[in-house]
Amino acid sequence: MTDLIQLLINGLALGSVYALAAIGFVIVYSATGVVNFAAGQFVMFGTFAGVAMLLNAQLPWPVGYGAALIAMALFGALFFAVLYLPLRASPVVTIIIGTVAIGITMQNAALLAFGSWPFRLPSPVEGINLTIAGATISAHAVAVVIVTALMVVLLWLLFFRTSLGIGMRAVAQDVKAARLMGLKVNRLLALSWILAALLAGIAGLMLGPMWFADTSMGDPIALKAFAATIIGGFGSLPGAIVGGLFVGLSEVLGASYVSSAYKDLISFGIMILFLLLRPQGVFGERIQDRG
Amino acid sequence: MSKRVPLLAGTVVLIAGFSLSMLLADYHLRLLNLAAISAIAVIGLNFAFGYAGLISLGHAAFVGTGAYGVALLTTLFAWSPWLALPVAVAGTAVLAMFIGIPLLRLKGHYLALATLGFNVSFSIVAANWIEVTGGTNGISRIPELQIAGHALANERSYLWFASLVLALLAAVATLIHGSRHGRAMIAVRDDETASSMTGIDVTRVKLVAFVLSAVYAAVAGGLFAFHMRFISPEDFGYAHSITYLAMLVVGGEGSILGALLGSLLVTFLPEWLRFLGSAYLAFFGLFVLAILIFLPSGFAGIRRQGSFRRHGRIKMPALIAASKEARS
Repeated sequence: MTDLIQLLINGLALGSVYALAAIGFVIVYSATGVVNFAAGQFVMFGTFAGVAMLLNAQLPWPVGYGAALIAMALFGALFFAVLYLPLRASPVVTIIIGTVAIGITMQNAALLAFGSWPFRLPSPVEGINLTIAGATISAHAVAVVIVTALMVVLLWLLFFRTSLGIGMRAVAQDVKAARLMGLKVNRLLALSWILAALLAGIAGLMLGPMWFADTSMGDPIALKAFAATIIGGFGSLPGAIVGGLFVGLSEVLGASYVSSAYKDLISFGIMILFLLLRPQGVFGERIQDRG
Repeated sequence: MSKRVPLLAGTVVLIAGFSLSMLLADYHLRLLNLAAISAIAVIGLNFAFGYAGLISLGHAAFVGTGAYGVALLTTLFAWSPWLALPVAVAGTAVLAMFIGIPLLRLKGHYLALATLGFNVSFSIVAANWIEVTGGTNGISRIPELQIAGHALANERSYLWFASLVLALLAAVATLIHGSRHGRAMIAVRDDETASSMTGIDVTRVKLVAFVLSAVYAAVAGGLFAFHMRFISPEDFGYAHSITYLAMLVVGGEGSILGALLGSLLVTFLPEWLRFLGSAYLAFFGLFVLAILIFLPSGFAGIRRQGSFRRHGRIKMPALIAASKEARS
């Protein structure tokens, strides 16, 4: 029983990171229609922004986290300008390959800057363990779940309680109508890329202490975020959360109860099943066949 | 299209292959072999992606099934390579059909993610089913190909063989492109609804394109296994699927010449850009992005735009051609 509690919390923590990565992916997809295959590299950049600020520059963690997130926001804006603006009129397949290409560049750039030796990114609650119902749980795992929940609430407030967020939703629904209503469409589109980069940054900062920070970590995260998005439903924010938690839990529980070698096959198998039987996922996509 | 074009395509590949095999040193011959093998896979991908518009991020998995097929049949069961190759290719075709029937109902990024999931699953199984695939250690001691008692042991003789296969398959692909089936694929890519209205069985055409692409991939995989004589799961990861797609996009999607150009260019690019050192991939990503932005129809597209202007008339779109056939 104590094992199970431990596994559940760890699974939820890992799932929260996947959920944040998936939310960033979904925000960009619903706003711009772009399927961002570099989403995993965004999270990797987040982790390494943390490595640069906390380990290399030795900043105290509140300052370091802030600086890392500012760097991520700038990167989101850069991505918008370099990839999205030139390619936005191209077919969806071209944009997909474009994001894949940029992903390759991002991974190689990180490798050049940080080397292939993995880093251990510290957590602000490093070394603290909690005991819940007899099970020992790292405070970091609990913090990750809490921060993710907080982010979800903040996102909900942004999208449903501020004019900025309502504008972003309007652009996601219909760019032309939004433009006719006098919304600054390009600015809002740029903002969705920045928001996605910020969420990926937070996911990366929280993932750093759970895994080793390694420049090749982006691809596995991207695959999990894709699986989460498909399972939850493409383009749905609640779907991204549910899908992310599901993938995280199935990975941790599958590794200890089924097989650690085949743990990833569980989430991909379920993803493919969903694609075949219910491609709209648990929560469904509002607009069918959008791609 | 005249019957001369496929013949011409094949002859050009053959002459280029033979003359280069005489001019270049062993290391470059090795790269040329790899380029020829990639070109076979990319011509295959061109059926699915270039003609039928099916975005596949799982092409390397079909290359892998072909390679593992011949490796297992020749090492475990001691089959002759010449028997193992067609059996592995046929097996891959059957696999592609079983995967294609459910998967090809998906479109756009859904299909991209599903095929990506297929490639990742293939890698996981290949790396962990140790009793059969040898896990990450791979399979070694794959026998070499022999023609009339002569082993294709060095790079030069292998290149002759690889050029021959490539020339043959390029000619066949050109024939298919010019045939009713090729035009049906392109019509389906351009407009599914309209092509089904003209009597094209959209589902069947997609499946044919997908299976054809897998067949070419499996041939490439078999040749790869006999060339390297050692295979491991990382040769067929989804990163390689992305490389094949990049080759096609750089060369020019929907064009066999493009597939050839792209495979050559992407295989030799690291060699030419050796001064970039470990920064090569960073450059490569930006290079592909630049092609997408500035040359959306790849290097082969430069030529096509030129000839378009010279003739001063628009070629009959595939859809119209297909609809005429359906009516007659």
